[in-house]
Amino acid sequence: MATPVPVLRLPKGPDPNSRGFDPNSPRFIALCRTSISSSAASDSDSEQLQKEQDARSVLREGFLRCLLSMTNKKVQFQMYENVKVEATFGASDIDVLNFQVSDLHTPIGVQKEALIRCQDVISFTFDV
Amino acid sequence: MMQCGWPLMGPLRWLHYVNKEVKVRAGKGEEHRGWLLSVDPVSASVVLVSFGEAVAVRVVMGHAVEAVEVLRAAADDETAKRLRSVFLPPPSPCLDPKELRQRRDAVRRWLQENRIPVEEEGEELKVAGVLTIAAPYSAHACRSSNQIILDRIQRLIGIQDCTNQGLPL
Repeated sequence: MATPVPVLRLPKGPDPNSRGFDPNSPRFIALCRTSISSSAASDSDSEQLQKEQDARSVLREGFLRCLLSMTNKKVQFQMYENVKVEATFGASDIDVLNFQVSDLHTPIGVQKEALIRCQDVISFTFDV
Repeated sequence: MMQCGWPLMGPLRWLHYVNKEVKVRAGKGEEHRGWLLSVDPVSASVVLVSFGEAVAVRVVMGHAVEAVEVLRAAADDETAKRLRSVFLPPPSPCLDPKELRQRRDAVRRWLQENRIPVEEEGEELKVAGVLTIAAPYSAHACRSSNQIILDRIQRLIGIQDCTNQGLPL
């Protein structure tokens, strides 16, 4: 008699109602260990939380404008192990975990399209 | 990888470093100087600007930051002004009030032709109650918290801009 094949259950997809910001979601736990959540002190003080949120939005807007002005420009990435590469910046994901770039110049050739892991990057620079 | 306290400081403390000249130590002995424009609250990445022949921007990833030292606590007026405008889009050419009104009416009519509810609210146009268009009524001048509507209206106005190349924008 044939042995029954165990049924594989695929992992549950992301919650369609949230945008991945739920700190208890599997995606967040798997990918965003390094993402920074709001401070514990602000949990108990709503005025503090408001101030923190205001600061957070000002800072994030500044950073997003920086990313916006980088699009389609040549960017030099300084990575770990003394690796320096140049590429044309495309986009970033929301958690700043990956950068999509084109024309990545590597020591072994030019990659037309690539994803750079932000964890591998120390800093990057471009001219406005 | 040894992690210093930088990513844990939080938005309120990061805000204190904005518009100050700082020296950032990162990775393996890298040191970068510049005016701190912003710190990403999601990744603690530091945005530094230096004004030389060109305006050079360096972003140091939050996870790589080892130390941040303040070199100059305040920028002079000229530098502060330049810092504020580093990432802003170039200012649009000023149109006179008559041209602006013509432009606003043209945009309003175009939206109405496309069956989109639009009202005049003072000098601005209010679209479907959720999107505002201010002077000079270009795609960049649209503001909304609804991404989908923003995208649709921007594309619509963009189409109009392309077909009306002769009109002042």
